[in-house]
Amino acid sequence: MSTVRSKAVVLWTVVVLNLILLAAPTVIILGASVTTGNIIAFPPEGFSLKWYGKVFASVVLREAFVRSLWVSIVCTVIAVPAGTLAALALARYRVRFAKLLQLYLLLPFTVPLIGAGMGMLMLFGELGILGELWPVGLACCVINLPFMIWAVLASANALDTDLENAAANCGAAPLQAFVTVTLPAVAPGIITGALLMFVLAFNEFLVSLLLTDANTVTLPVSIYNSIRNVITPDLAAVSVVYILVATLAIALLDRWVGLEIFLKSK
Amino acid sequence: MNRNPIDRRTFLQGAGAFAATLPFGRFAFAAEPAKPKELIVRVWGGEWKDAIDGGVSQSFAKATGIGIKYDETEDNELQPKLWAAVKQKRRPPVAVNWDTTTNATKSALKKMGEDLSDLPNLKGLLPVAQPLGFEGYPLVNVYSYVYVLAYRTDAFPQGAPKSWKVLLDPKFKGRIALYNDGIGFHPAAQVAGGGKVEDIPKNMKAAWDFIGKLKAQKPLLGEDPDFTNWFQKGEIDLACTIVTNARGAKKNGVKVAWTIPEEGAKVDTDALWIPKGLPANELYWAKQYVNYALSTEAQQGWCDGLGLPGVNPNINPPADMVGDPAYPTKPEDFKKLIRVPNRIQVENEKEWFGKFKSIMQG
Amino acid sequence: MGASVMLEALEGIRATLWPRAFKRFTGAMLLLPAVALVLVLVAGLAWMGDASLHLLDTETFETGADYTAANYRQMGGQATYWIVLGRSILGAAIVTLVTLVLAFPYAYVMVRTGSAWTRKILLVSLFLPFFIGQVVRAYGWLIILGKEGLLNSLFGILGLGPFKMIYNYPSVLFGLVQYLLPFAVLLIAPAVTAIDEEIELASESLGAHWLRTFRHVTLPMAKPGLVAAALVVFTLALTDYAMPVILGGGTNDFIANAVYDAFFRISDSGLGSAVAIVLVLIATLLAAVILTVLGSGTLGFSAERR
Repeated sequence: MSTVRSKAVVLWTVVVLNLILLAAPTVIILGASVTTGNIIAFPPEGFSLKWYGKVFASVVLREAFVRSLWVSIVCTVIAVPAGTLAALALARYRVRFAKLLQLYLLLPFTVPLIGAGMGMLMLFGELGILGELWPVGLACCVINLPFMIWAVLASANALDTDLENAAANCGAAPLQAFVTVTLPAVAPGIITGALLMFVLAFNEFLVSLLLTDANTVTLPVSIYNSIRNVITPDLAAVSVVYILVATLAIALLDRWVGLEIFLKSK
Repeated sequence: MNRNPIDRRTFLQGAGAFAATLPFGRFAFAAEPAKPKELIVRVWGGEWKDAIDGGVSQSFAKATGIGIKYDETEDNELQPKLWAAVKQKRRPPVAVNWDTTTNATKSALKKMGEDLSDLPNLKGLLPVAQPLGFEGYPLVNVYSYVYVLAYRTDAFPQGAPKSWKVLLDPKFKGRIALYNDGIGFHPAAQVAGGGKVEDIPKNMKAAWDFIGKLKAQKPLLGEDPDFTNWFQKGEIDLACTIVTNARGAKKNGVKVAWTIPEEGAKVDTDALWIPKGLPANELYWAKQYVNYALSTEAQQGWCDGLGLPGVNPNINPPADMVGDPAYPTKPEDFKKLIRVPNRIQVENEKEWFGKFKSIMQG
Repeated sequence: MGASVMLEALEGIRATLWPRAFKRFTGAMLLLPAVALVLVLVAGLAWMGDASLHLLDTETFETGADYTAANYRQMGGQATYWIVLGRSILGAAIVTLVTLVLAFPYAYVMVRTGSAWTRKILLVSLFLPFFIGQVVRAYGWLIILGKEGLLNSLFGILGLGPFKMIYNYPSVLFGLVQYLLPFAVLLIAPAVTAIDEEIELASESLGAHWLRTFRHVTLPMAKPGLVAAALVVFTLALTDYAMPVILGGGTNDFIANAVYDAFFRISDSGLGSAVAIVLVLIATLLAAVILTVLGSGTLGFSAERR
């Protein structure tokens, strides 16, 4: 009995520590966003929603928000099929030069973002596609692609190979087996990956900075630029708006498919 | 808020006269070229943006009907984007670049900028407006600023520190700040370390020795907004920073003052320039913007916001900067200050930067 | 019905374009889109490789036409780069270790808890920080840990401090752990899900202390997830730019900051490219070491795993 308790105590201590680590900046930002003062501070000076007023009144921020949505959608739409197929290939098929391929697919994480951004600035400039928004989505997809691959791989590893074989043995055509057996089995990974890709694209500022201009600036770039100049509570207010939108999205997801899907395949 | 409304008719007469004085060239249209809907101007944000917006852009927009849109990308970070655009013969991301003179000089060396020699308002400006070592005006300097020694008044009840050597006082260990590339500090360090200004860039041992000693003081290294932030949050007592940042902190209620120590302080300039590759009509209006930014009205409003002395000699200092040594206007004011020619700065920056980093990151 | 008809039609198209005889190449085919996407980066690397072989002339700010290894020589000859590189590698290693130690129990509890609500709370806590960018989160920590920050004012009430908790090496590592923790948990959780709880229970019912069970049963079985998390956390920490800038106080640069400085501050894209390429090589090499030593983790193939 005591070992069971010691296990619970140790595990929960670490979990609570984690929760504090994860929540602390969020709480601070929430608090700082309602200050009446001109600087980000916690505890806030007084209470006012003036910074929210400023955020919602800003046409620049609103346009940037819409652009960021578009960038995130482009990123996710490209990443989901590409990442899912690659993950299934790695998990299901014998591929030549597998180790090298793994290292190749890890390039998005081993190339420093500034290098990646500079390279894409030159490449996209040469191709004449700078100044448009979709290349920014493509760029966000490329630099975060390993997340998509691994999220699906994590599910694919938990998947029972026998099921697919059984389907094939029962005469199911390859596509049919893929759609009816494989895809549902890795759905949790696809959803986790898609969400990650969307959110990461929505927050990407370093590569996007090099690929956008005043007419295509995205929200994280706009936030980054203002932080470089002067740090005012409207940045906290923007972040809180993010969190509210995120909470809503997560609540809807829970309602529709259940959050359990992140952990368990059907 | 429009601090400097200008008479629309006066401006347009000026613009018309401008076109009329040019017998040939692309400005010799019977009528002025088509107005673009907007011009994109690169600016630093916060007070810097407010200053140029209130002093220059709003009146320009009112007079011409051309909206001004801002690109707030850092000057350093916009530079590769601009260079790539000009090199790849694309339309540059901004029409007017508000830049440090050092960065603008690099771009001018690469012949990235349009020549501005034909702007009528160049006449009568202080000599400092003209970039050195170039034919014509691939950029135009717009005001001077001083890298002052800013201090928290609470930490100095006896009054302003006299020398840069105060940075070495053990009392301030961990409570001093410099720019993270050491910019603005080299000349002061050279003199404080016992060296001579004339030896820059040939023999800067004094400066490096001084900076080496400073490393033991565990300085914080940052950029413009960090200084204001650090003073506000009580992280530092002393900093070598542009006077505008110290003034900004003071305006926000932080107890900060500044001084020019006996060794002197570096004075530098910022510039405006227009990258090549704009459509002809946009180039025309971008030039009009720069020209207007040099006029007495615009300079007065813009430089009031910054607390800096403009290159137009007819403007008056803002009330809080009258008689301030960090607001140099007369030749004797400049004698206390150290100017490193921008070409020398640009040629040696890489080496200085490397040395500074090797001391601070070691 | 409509769906199955459509599926059949698609099956027909598939059979024409991709007959079963091609089956051998299906794996390669499926990888093609991802490989093509990463090719965008390879093009960038090729540009950097070329740029790194030309020297900048600071009198004209043009790069020379001649090919030279001068940028690499300059980098190799400057102790600063080695110090910063060493700091990045050591930092990434420490961050990886700490993050995994923190992430595993979180993932474990999240998967194993009997309460659906606990699981939901743990999941949501994991996702929410993603929505505040790395930069804003780091600023949140400045407010908490600063000299006149929240924690120091609490210490002040107790008559302690103020302590200097930010603008040093540990605070950069702390910021990285905090930033990378959710990624690690998300990669470890599926691996824990795949472990049969019965096996653990069996071990414990045979009298093994839970720590022993953890060490000899749970952790080895969760290895795929741990390896994937280690790879992600290590490479992202090693190449991070923002945390050293915001929490390092300017004197705790990582190698990505040197890349930034070369490209943006001294306008030397040749030197910046050289540093970036060296970083890619080292990061890839270290990733290969992790893959080889620890096995291929979640990235493995079914044949190897079973």
